Amino acid sequence: MLVANGISVSKAEIVVASDPVVYNCLGLGSCVGVCAQDTKTGVSGMIHVMLPAAFENGPVEKLGKFADTGLPELIRQMEEAGAIRRSIVVAYSGGASVFQFSSGRPGLQDVGARNSVAVAAEIESLGLPVIASDVGGTNGRSIFMCSESGEVRVRTVRHGEKTLCNFRGQEAHVKARHDNA
Amino acid sequence: MSKPVTITLDDIVSRTTDLPTFSAAALEVMRLADSSTSKAEDIAEVLARDQALSVRVLRLSNSAYYGVSKTVTSLSEGVVVLGMRTVKNLCMVAATYPWMSNAVDGYELGPMQLWNHSFGTALGAQTVAKLCGKCDPQLAFTAGLLHDIGKVALSIWMEKKLKAIIVYAEREGISFDAAERKVLGYDHCEVGEHLGLKWNLPEPILLAIRYHHSPDDCKEYHPVVDCVHLGNYLTMAMGFGLGGDGLQYSLAESCFERLEIKPDDLDQITDNFVVAYEKYEAMFQDLAA
Repeated sequence: MLVANGISVSKAEIVVASDPVVYNCLGLGSCVGVCAQDTKTGVSGMIHVMLPAAFENGPVEKLGKFADTGLPELIRQMEEAGAIRRSIVVAYSGGASVFQFSSGRPGLQDVGARNSVAVAAEIESLGLPVIASDVGGTNGRSIFMCSESGEVRVRTVRHGEKTLCNFRGQEAHVKARHDNA
Repeated sequence: MSKPVTITLDDIVSRTTDLPTFSAAALEVMRLADSSTSKAEDIAEVLARDQALSVRVLRLSNSAYYGVSKTVTSLSEGVVVLGMRTVKNLCMVAATYPWMSNAVDGYELGPMQLWNHSFGTALGAQTVAKLCGKCDPQLAFTAGLLHDIGKVALSIWMEKKLKAIIVYAEREGISFDAAERKVLGYDHCEVGEHLGLKWNLPEPILLAIRYHHSPDDCKEYHPVVDCVHLGNYLTMAMGFGLGGDGLQYSLAESCFERLEIKPDDLDQITDNFVVAYEKYEAMFQDLAA
């Protein structure tokens, strides 16, 4: 079990570290917590995305609030800390939605689904391999990452805690992805 | 599935031994603040009858959030400096925090989680009310704060039933409140309304408590019901105080039409809501001190 007393990454926040760190994003509803780690240098980072895209009017005060501004900023900060883009892997969780929309056609109201889609699209455009994800449903979640062991865990109130993936040993995955690119 | 309804709503309110009480002074302040003839000293006088409440209201009045330049030392000064309606909200916060900040085990809500959820819904409902201009924002705040009081009353009766209700909701593809009704014979909204009646809460607040998950069913329409429904949605979406029931609820999109809010504005509303919530967080520390 990864204890919850590591670094708490609160809404719209980005945290990056080159030393071993235990991170957590607690209380994810429709928000998405994204974990990233460079499998070679060990540089790691986490972001707590609140919304899919920055507003058109006005400046963005916290880049980490939005998937489209936050994920590039997470990777920029990781690179600044010594990470190499080609060896960064990611995992993410969250993006829950309410059980039912009365119209049966959720659109803009479904923030959780839009967040999950936006995060996936941004990760794709950054060329990063997704090792694992756990999104959707009606569960509140918390996500934890131990950068030293590479373990990423997800906890839900209903189903307890489980290992989502381990970033260790993913070098082959990264290489294969870049070889195929 | 266990057979429903062996305990009535009356039983819950009369037989739950650790049921919270609502300060009589706080209720009187709520009434006075809504009256056009009330004066600052009337509110201060009523508040002074409840010493514990007065201390908490004074502490909140001096919170950094309000940025009052000199220390507020008396209740009447607090009412003058902050205004009657702000003091009313502080009074509601001070009256509910002591029991809402406790764990609500029956819904798998740890310490502070019901409080975070209730306070979030209060701010969410207020944010929506300000935006649409169809509901008094202070009323929306109070109704949001109290919307889940039924969970507190039901908690002790839920401890062995929560998992069964969740499984039933998932298996049948229904919302959590619908599953509560199937299994227990009533849901936390009905229990909350019953408790609110016992406390003599005003009618619009009772409606918001009763219909916060089903605003379309509210026959005596009041916009505060929609404001609390959307405030609750924002709070769940942002993950404030999620328990075992998670987001297993419905969103009544008709609220957007009734309040004349465009779904396109939802992200901006969500952002405003979270910013407001984070500003207020410092106040909790003042209360817990």
